[in-house]
Amino acid sequence: MGIGATHIDHIVIGSNDSAATAKLFSETYGIEIKRVMSRPGTGAHMEFAKLQEVVLEFAGPGTPPEGEEPRARLGGFVFAVEDIDAAVAALRAHGCTVEEPHAAVQPGAKLAGIKDGTHGVPLAIIQYGALPIEETKA
Amino acid sequence: MTVKRIDHVGLVVKDLAEGVATFEKHFGFIADGTRGGEIEPLGIKNAFVPVGESDLEFIQPITEDGPVARFAQERGEGQFLLSLEVDDIAATVEHLRGLGVRVADPSPGGVAFVSMKSAFGVNLQLVQRG
Repeated sequence: MGIGATHIDHIVIGSNDSAATAKLFSETYGIEIKRVMSRPGTGAHMEFAKLQEVVLEFAGPGTPPEGEEPRARLGGFVFAVEDIDAAVAALRAHGCTVEEPHAAVQPGAKLAGIKDGTHGVPLAIIQYGALPIEETKA
Repeated sequence: MTVKRIDHVGLVVKDLAEGVATFEKHFGFIADGTRGGEIEPLGIKNAFVPVGESDLEFIQPITEDGPVARFAQERGEGQFLLSLEVDDIAATVEHLRGLGVRVADPSPGGVAFVSMKSAFGVNLQLVQRG
């Protein structure tokens, strides 16, 4: 039985310099950056592009390490689901270790990371419209 | 250069049947039995699992060398490549080379691999469909 996953919601490209990586993908590969975001207190800097239904997220530290060349790698991806609580219950019934769903950065969304049973792929699931907008993380 | 969409994400697994079965069982996806198989020149066998508008490509190395085998030896299982669909692969390759990007000649099937050095270490594939 499935978990109601509808599509790949986003793919993360992790980097030691997310701004430089996003710039490379934008200027060289024509992927338009739609949103730039920093999370105060975490030092994280994220930039986002959207290719049809899939968001490409460039994530990394707010301050790139000095003197290092930019390095990036695929950092995991997220499936969109229709009912995250039911999806978590189904995954746990299959023996997967799954986080409790929690408010995501995306307005109104809940997210849960899947800790095993993914053949080494960092994976999470997300449900949009799961929370009132004001309960979403800043 | 215009990227139309994420064509697929390539995932390296130690055992193709087991990897596909895990994702079918856990997530309810169904492999597309009309695609995939052994690709001897690349030293792999693969299978495709549609997820919305994109695919997951499960890839198992079947030789001891080649990029997929090296990835599996160094990192085990995990995400291997990001495939982007473009309108015109020949024009895209020409355009990228004009920008100094190292990119292989397109295959007859319309697939071209970008050097990881030209993508800060990300394994990028470009593909033209249709």
